[in-house]
Amino acid sequence: MLTRTLKIGIVCPYSWDTPGGVQNHIRDLAEFLIAAGHEVSVLAPAMDEENLPVYVVHAGKPISIPYNGAVARVLFGPVAFSRVRQWIAQGDFDLLHLHEPAIPSISLLACWAADGPMVGTFHAAAKRQKIIFAIGPILEPAIEKLSARIAVSEAARLTLTDHLDTDAVVIPNGIYASRYQEGTPQEKWQGNTIGFIGRFEEPRKGLSILLEALPVIARFAPDVKVFVAGPGDPKEVEKQIDPQLRHRFSFLGKISEEEKADFMSSIAIYVAPNTGGESFGIILAEALAGGACVVASDIPAFEDLLGQGEFGGLFKSEDPTELAKVVIELLRDKDRRENLSRAGRLRGQSFDWNVIAQRIYSVYEMSIVGSEKVKLASDTRSWNRFLSKDDK
Amino acid sequence: MTNWVFAVFILLISLWYLSFLATRLDRLHHRVETSWANLDVLLQKRAAVALEIAHSDIADPASSLLLTGAAYQARDAEIQTRSAAESGLSGALGLLLEDSQHLATAADNALLTELSALTDKIRVAIALHKDAVTRTQMVRKKVIVRIFRLAGTAPLPVTYEFESDVL
Repeated sequence: MLTRTLKIGIVCPYSWDTPGGVQNHIRDLAEFLIAAGHEVSVLAPAMDEENLPVYVVHAGKPISIPYNGAVARVLFGPVAFSRVRQWIAQGDFDLLHLHEPAIPSISLLACWAADGPMVGTFHAAAKRQKIIFAIGPILEPAIEKLSARIAVSEAARLTLTDHLDTDAVVIPNGIYASRYQEGTPQEKWQGNTIGFIGRFEEPRKGLSILLEALPVIARFAPDVKVFVAGPGDPKEVEKQIDPQLRHRFSFLGKISEEEKADFMSSIAIYVAPNTGGESFGIILAEALAGGACVVASDIPAFEDLLGQGEFGGLFKSEDPTELAKVVIELLRDKDRRENLSRAGRLRGQSFDWNVIAQRIYSVYEMSIVGSEKVKLASDTRSWNRFLSKDDK
Repeated sequence: MTNWVFAVFILLISLWYLSFLATRLDRLHHRVETSWANLDVLLQKRAAVALEIAHSDIADPASSLLLTGAAYQARDAEIQTRSAAESGLSGALGLLLEDSQHLATAADNALLTELSALTDKIRVAIALHKDAVTRTQMVRKKVIVRIFRLAGTAPLPVTYEFESDVL
């Protein structure tokens, strides 16, 4: 894949030390590119200045703002702006890769400040918002500077066309598919088991839908067990569970990558009842690669990922009765489960970093052809050149 | 006095806005050029691969003839006939690929893989070019851009017909 060594600057809008899909994507991409021989520098805000990987440059402490139904830890302001400009000026980059450049963050600042080959990746999927009429004209000239736009899913692409009237190439998020293939089934998680991974305290992850469906499922499959993994305090959730069913729940806490691989290959069904705010669903891709039989809500991103039901079961989002129905059918039908998981494994392969990074890299190549290095926009503007000469 | 200051202020702001718009337009024109250059290179490569396929064992003599003709046409086409020539090549390749998948040998497979990788890239390049062109057209439609002739002498970029059905 290597045709020439590039100096690539990646901007991460969200705080590096809070867990999240965008951060994971950037970390994996950066590490993959470095392994392929490129020079990579990631600019990111972080709470804790120490303990950052060597390739991450600290941009400052993030602030919390509400965005798209969750709290986003981002960074902007005059100080951050000058930090971004300094990074660009010193970096001597061949290309900038900005993530989520349409939200108030250092990505947007970098988009303003830089001139040259730039690629933007749009992660978020959201319904059309009125506010876009007000902020659209401000964003447009900045977004226009990107030589190529990538959307991580069809849902994200539609959000982009809806909001900013511009098109994008769809390249899904990457996973290290091989890591999930090698999971060994663990007896403690086998049987009539349902798995769930995620920050279960967040309402949009939809654990409560699964809780509501469980009494029905338990009636048809009395020995069903539910394993919930992910960071969070289970006490609040346990209060919602019917006391008779409480012993069927196990909270595993945060699990490691290897445990995740074992988990996916052991459980009978992986359930993703997310109610929205999900643009791609990396955990589903991982579940597929790990050979789990998947049941997910029919939000656009998941429908897309599961090929409209070809690679896993779908149920009407926020409908516990339908979830129960789909799960019971699958628990009873071992053959169908095995078929789905076989098809799913193949599907999971298509999200492997080897494939995805190659596609991202060819977009890089196309943005670079015939262009020069990344510079500060203010250096190339004749107006400013004229003014700064006066200063000296 | 205040009126006068105010007028100067407005004038400065509008001057700044005009220069901002001009830079923006310049950048867009640049984007159209680079994305077209990209696409052009990829299409040339495709014609070359098509020729190789035509000379390999994948193609029977009749398809070989058709493909060679189409590839040469695509290579030599003037800008006006480019669209038709590229569509022709796509058609010829499509015909051949439809029934050659099962009888390809390993060496031929390398060619076919190269072609499909190229096709993927062309698809991306087309999307990028189309987007650059539509954005530029949108900005150039602005009244201010037209009144002050901010686009200068640059021709209005257009998309080619073949772009939507090239693959």
